[in-house]
Amino acid sequence: MNEREARAVLFSAIEGGHPFWSQEIFTHDAVKVITKLQDGGYDAIKFEKLMHSIATISSDQVLSAIESTHSHFIVPGDAMWPSAVEDLANPPIALIAKGNCEALLMPSLAIVGTRNPTNYGARIAGDFAAGFVDREWGIISGGAYGIDSFAHKGALIAEGVTVAVIASGIDVNYPAGNARLFAEICEGGAIVSEVMPGHPALPARFLTRNRLIAAISQATLVVEAAFRSGSLRTARDAAELLRPVMAIPGPINSPTSEGCHRLIGERAAEIVTSVADAVEFVAANR
Amino acid sequence: MSLAQTNSVALLGLDGHVVNVEVDIADGLPIYSLLGLPDAALSESRERVRAAMVNCAEIWPNRKVTVSLSPAWLPKSGSGFDLAICIAILSAHETIAPERICDLVFLGELSLDGRIRSVRGVLPALMAAYKSGITTAVVPRANRAEAALMQGMEIIAMEHLSQVLCWLRTGERESDVEIDDQWNESDERLDFADVAGQPQARLAAEVAATGGHHILLIGPPGAGKTMIAERIPTIMPSLKISQALEVTAVHSLAGSFATRSPTSLIAPIVSPHHTTTRVAMVGGGAHAIRPGACSLAHHGVLFIDEAPECSSGVLDSLRQPLEAGTITIARSIGNVTFPAQFLLVLAANPCPCGKFSGRGRNCSCSSQQVRRYIGKLSGPLMDRIDLRVHVDPVGRIDMARIELGESSAVIRARVIAARGIAEKRFAGLGYNLNSQIPARSLRTLFRPERAAMSFLHDELEREHITARGLHKIVRTSWTLADLHGHDLPTMADVTQAHSLRGGVEI
Repeated sequence: MNEREARAVLFSAIEGGHPFWSQEIFTHDAVKVITKLQDGGYDAIKFEKLMHSIATISSDQVLSAIESTHSHFIVPGDAMWPSAVEDLANPPIALIAKGNCEALLMPSLAIVGTRNPTNYGARIAGDFAAGFVDREWGIISGGAYGIDSFAHKGALIAEGVTVAVIASGIDVNYPAGNARLFAEICEGGAIVSEVMPGHPALPARFLTRNRLIAAISQATLVVEAAFRSGSLRTARDAAELLRPVMAIPGPINSPTSEGCHRLIGERAAEIVTSVADAVEFVAANR
Repeated sequence: MSLAQTNSVALLGLDGHVVNVEVDIADGLPIYSLLGLPDAALSESRERVRAAMVNCAEIWPNRKVTVSLSPAWLPKSGSGFDLAICIAILSAHETIAPERICDLVFLGELSLDGRIRSVRGVLPALMAAYKSGITTAVVPRANRAEAALMQGMEIIAMEHLSQVLCWLRTGERESDVEIDDQWNESDERLDFADVAGQPQARLAAEVAATGGHHILLIGPPGAGKTMIAERIPTIMPSLKISQALEVTAVHSLAGSFATRSPTSLIAPIVSPHHTTTRVAMVGGGAHAIRPGACSLAHHGVLFIDEAPECSSGVLDSLRQPLEAGTITIARSIGNVTFPAQFLLVLAANPCPCGKFSGRGRNCSCSSQQVRRYIGKLSGPLMDRIDLRVHVDPVGRIDMARIELGESSAVIRARVIAARGIAEKRFAGLGYNLNSQIPARSLRTLFRPERAAMSFLHDELEREHITARGLHKIVRTSWTLADLHGHDLPTMADVTQAHSLRGGVEI
């Protein structure tokens, strides 16, 4: 069994973002971890389920399942592997990507925010995406409605490269209404997933997905976020990785700008008011 | 002589057909037959007519009575034929001279003691009678104000069957008490001065009233959405007499004069509750097709509060009338077309709990619920709405202010002036509101200034607006130009129109 096959088995057996196994596989390597599992080197009671699945899953099955979705299985050492994700405390075991995988290696800006933007936020997301695309950056975001979609659309209108990191399997269009957008993204950019094809987007997967958005990109921009918002998680992940985090201010009586103001108030994000501002801030902090 | 005939009117929607009421009294067993497709209410007329006649000391002909309502193929409904049938029977019974009644039209329901009760649809019925050359009509006293609108006809309003008989036999009648048939123009109860603050929503209301642009008000409960919507008719110009007649005709058919005077020149406002059904909204019914809320709001305002709470089919049923200005209802008894040119005013909370505004911390709705809530207003419907305005809660400065805001009279004067400018511009083109400019003319005759157009083309290119959105914005910008006294929409007018539409298409 080579490293790639070992990673395929572990990828399908372990949910992405697991703190212990992510570290274990990252510091040793997948072949060693599998051998140790098979030899009973880990707590047999605690990891019984995992050991069972390791024994039953074959790497051929996993790899052919991924291949049947016309996507690539990327592991460390591959030319397309975005090594920036290794800065994470819990780096991914592998990634599944569809489309133009080189997009993962471009310098890129993550644009995140609420699913219920105001017109203001929708416009800003598109404008900043287009502005960074004009400066030869890629855009990274999730696959949700709202700011995510507007960021992708802005990048596509400016004929740029954009990457959607999704929380479901690569072949699951979630939300279904964005299926056409995903197809457009794949033409020049890529869609990335950390779960096996066919798996649904569970709530917990959005949080582990957010860390990938923060890690693959060089900087993160929060456009509009409510007081409780998943995009604040992405911003904090990016801050932990010491990547520049920026937030767009809004009216103080707008519920969708509360989260941004909170980040700015806590000095967790830099306030930016124009594309030029943002470019300058990112250049100074890379 | 045992044959007599007179006239009444059958209504199918607003279209009236003069119905010839013929009565033949022949020898034979006492029997009464009513021919000509009567519905249940009309079939019961026999008992009412008979009792009324007997209670007025007339004699019921105890022979074979045949009443024929022709044209026989036309389905007839309602109780408005009672009076005509009663008079025709008496005439056939040789107690009234037949030539006295053959050119008259009678409308009215009889009560058992002979009083004449009011009926619906008197004005459209009289219009039909007038068109077919009848010049004198007997109507219930209660419908007199409405009937008096019918210029060129002699209207005899009577309260009791015995008065009618007395008049027919002797030509004598009590002189009518003068009624106040002046058109009334103003409603003192509501005024825009009551609305504190809300400059953006006030502007949007003014633009809506001027150009006929449909409007959506989004805001938390208590911000004043309903207050603003209810006051939109007070800033709309008075109806022209011809428009008022159309409005009164529709209201007459619906029997809604309890809430609206037949001689009112004020633009009507109709606010159906959000649980309303599709039939109540657009009109319908099995026997008599009644106009729905959207026709009652003809030349006025259709205000739907809590619009996302409506069943989606209800709001979407408004799409056709919004486009065509009329609504056609098809039933087995025939197709009926009602006028439905209204200004649509929708109000909505920002989310199901209503608190997603300000800092939004009290809102208990999930992100998806918030999204779904406004999403219930379907895309095609939203596309027809030119003004989408957020109504924020009133701040303490606005509440504490002692001087009142602009009054309806002031705003209305501006609206009338701006509409005058638009009407002059559209002379001979067949429409008179900015919202009615056809798309073709927007690109040729009615282009905004160059810089403004290139701004819009930029927005189109960046996919911030759609082609239809562009047209809508140009229409609104013409209204703003009229209000500001510009000959051509300037950059400022266009950007303002753009922001009133809500900027980006979501």
